Amino acid sequence: MRIQRISAVARFEFASVVKRWSYLIATFGLPVFLALLSGTVIGAQTYFLTQRAAESSEFGLVDEADVIDLGVFEEREGTRVWTANANEIVLYDTSDAASRDLESGRLRAVYVVEKDYLSSGEVRAIQSEKTPLLSMGGTTIEPLLRSLLRKSLVEGRLDHDVQERVISPAYFVRSRLGPDGEQVTGVDEALDLLVRTTIPLFLGILLLTALLSASGYLVQTVSTDKESKIVEVLLSSVTPEEILAGKLFGLGAAGLLQFAVWSSMVVFVALTASAALAAVVSIPWQALAVAPVLFILGYLFLGSLMLATAALGANAAESQKLTMGWAMLAILPLMVLVILLDEPNGILGQVMTWIPFTSPLTVIIRLAVDSSGIAWWEVIGSMAVLLVSTWVSIRIGARLFRVGFLLTGSMPSLAELWRQAR
Amino acid sequence: MGILAYRGVSKRFGKHSALEDVSLEVRPGEVFGLLGPNGAGKTTLIRIGLDILRPDDGEVSLFGAAPEPKTLDRTAYLPEERGVYRRAKVRELLAYLGRLKGLKRTAARTAADHWLERVGLSRVADQRVESLSKGMTQKVQIAACLMTDPELCVLDEPFSGLDPVNVALITSLIEERRRSGQTTVLSTHMMHQVEALCDRVALIHRGRLVVYGQLDEIRRRYSPNEVIVWTATDLLAFGVQATLHRAGGWRVELPPSVTPAGYLNELVRNGVLIDRYEPLVARMDEIFVSLVSGGR
Repeated sequence: MRIQRISAVARFEFASVVKRWSYLIATFGLPVFLALLSGTVIGAQTYFLTQRAAESSEFGLVDEADVIDLGVFEEREGTRVWTANANEIVLYDTSDAASRDLESGRLRAVYVVEKDYLSSGEVRAIQSEKTPLLSMGGTTIEPLLRSLLRKSLVEGRLDHDVQERVISPAYFVRSRLGPDGEQVTGVDEALDLLVRTTIPLFLGILLLTALLSASGYLVQTVSTDKESKIVEVLLSSVTPEEILAGKLFGLGAAGLLQFAVWSSMVVFVALTASAALAAVVSIPWQALAVAPVLFILGYLFLGSLMLATAALGANAAESQKLTMGWAMLAILPLMVLVILLDEPNGILGQVMTWIPFTSPLTVIIRLAVDSSGIAWWEVIGSMAVLLVSTWVSIRIGARLFRVGFLLTGSMPSLAELWRQAR
Repeated sequence: MGILAYRGVSKRFGKHSALEDVSLEVRPGEVFGLLGPNGAGKTTLIRIGLDILRPDDGEVSLFGAAPEPKTLDRTAYLPEERGVYRRAKVRELLAYLGRLKGLKRTAARTAADHWLERVGLSRVADQRVESLSKGMTQKVQIAACLMTDPELCVLDEPFSGLDPVNVALITSLIEERRRSGQTTVLSTHMMHQVEALCDRVALIHRGRLVVYGQLDEIRRRYSPNEVIVWTATDLLAFGVQATLHRAGGWRVELPPSVTPAGYLNELVRNGVLIDRYEPLVARMDEIFVSLVSGGR
């Protein structure tokens, strides 16, 4: 194979795809649109939060039932104030005085513990005209008042421990029953498990997205070549192997560029959002390190098979149907993901590591979930199998490609196809 | 030795035999006509010659050896089923096809510009192919074919869809190739172009080689032994079996033993004043129809 010719085909195919409006919109427009959308949402939220922050955080409390424990209040410039969770609750003797301060805008709301509170349980919440009804629901003021009332009601009437449990009935401590007995699960471990299962899933979906996106371009380009009848001109200049390799590299580069732009955005957002998370969980670096190699090998293997079979189709729709089988084989690990996550190094995981259709995704999942259970020779071996399979699939693919490329009308029998491809 | 030679080549697709034991060669510097009705096997023969298809039996040699990528760089092919990337720009498409034939990037662009100039399409160099007319697109394809200055150029129906001016342009380009010693294989149904351009021809019918050889010799071989004599003399008065020809002269059918030259001598000896004398030579379209319909 001549590198210069492969490079010429690859450059042409790459340029043909990346100049298309549909590609530019999908690659750059979509992330920009999503960034604008999320920017708008975040911007709007920030604006309203800022506005809310600018509002008074002072609330009035009138205790007509005389049940509130005054111990939490402190004297400040002639008034009694309780400060909790950045809220200031001012105690008023009468509701008239509180209403005046509410009208003047000093207070956001006034809570009146009604005289018959003990029998009715009613606490009147009065808001100003400007404050939307129910807007207090999102604040911490009402839970604070509830706990203050609960504490006030039981204070001195129960044993200290019972009093505490009435106020805070339960703290849940989570644990798992494993082979070594029951083990307490910390929050870090729960997060780690989440990340360990999320990342393989995320990597798998990204791999498949890249693969299916790039192979979509492959199917499209073969259909274009067949429909535009340029095949004979190409085959009179370059070998089927060179065309196949050029298309694989060119369109693979276009697919990977798209993938890189998308994942860069996702990674950027994820890193920004989870800077704190990353400090407490372990990122599966081994899986991330081998992912690009497996991406490329998997793409070349499946892509060459897809190109060859796509060439057998009479048009784009037929080509897509013919190539669907390869895509189904590639997503097999995702179909059995539950088993793989549960038992990454079980017999299923071990077998799928050596099958070139499933090995890229399986190795990534196994490394990400439990890297100690997969031997280095398994990783290297699966790559070697994938490499050899890629070479074989390119050779067979190129022969089928030559025959399929020139096919018109009805599909010949498999025997005839094989005879022509020899 | 042939620049392109087939020896006993056969090819079948399923149960259909596309070519059967075809042997012929194309010589350096000639314009070789590949003739035959639709579906005769011409395209299959061309594809096998350019290593696009492989024969089931027989051998092919290109520049004296089995076709290989290196020798294919010395050839160019304009298929009957015209193919272009319709969304590509004209110059880009030509440069790309030049690169596939082994030209360096700069050389490919220079050759593209040069050949667009030659076929009168410089003004559309930056337009997309889809914006061109059918004739213009065809000229782009011919430019793509000739831009690498190939030693062997295979043109399948290069005149179809072209107006007379462009037919003349392509004809002159083919003649120019012959003058410079380059070889052209011309597959066409336009028999007057075959007569005007080809040195030798092969006629394929139902996958078999029916006629093959020097054009003049074939025309003579299939010509009737007749002459047309333009004279003021009444040939019937001389006792000659003649009929009036539509071109104005007398059409005389000669006995098999008499040649046109011998008959001319005889007329002159007998004192017939001859204005013009022409042996009837079969036209290629007549030979084509007679061989093809005769086989049906």
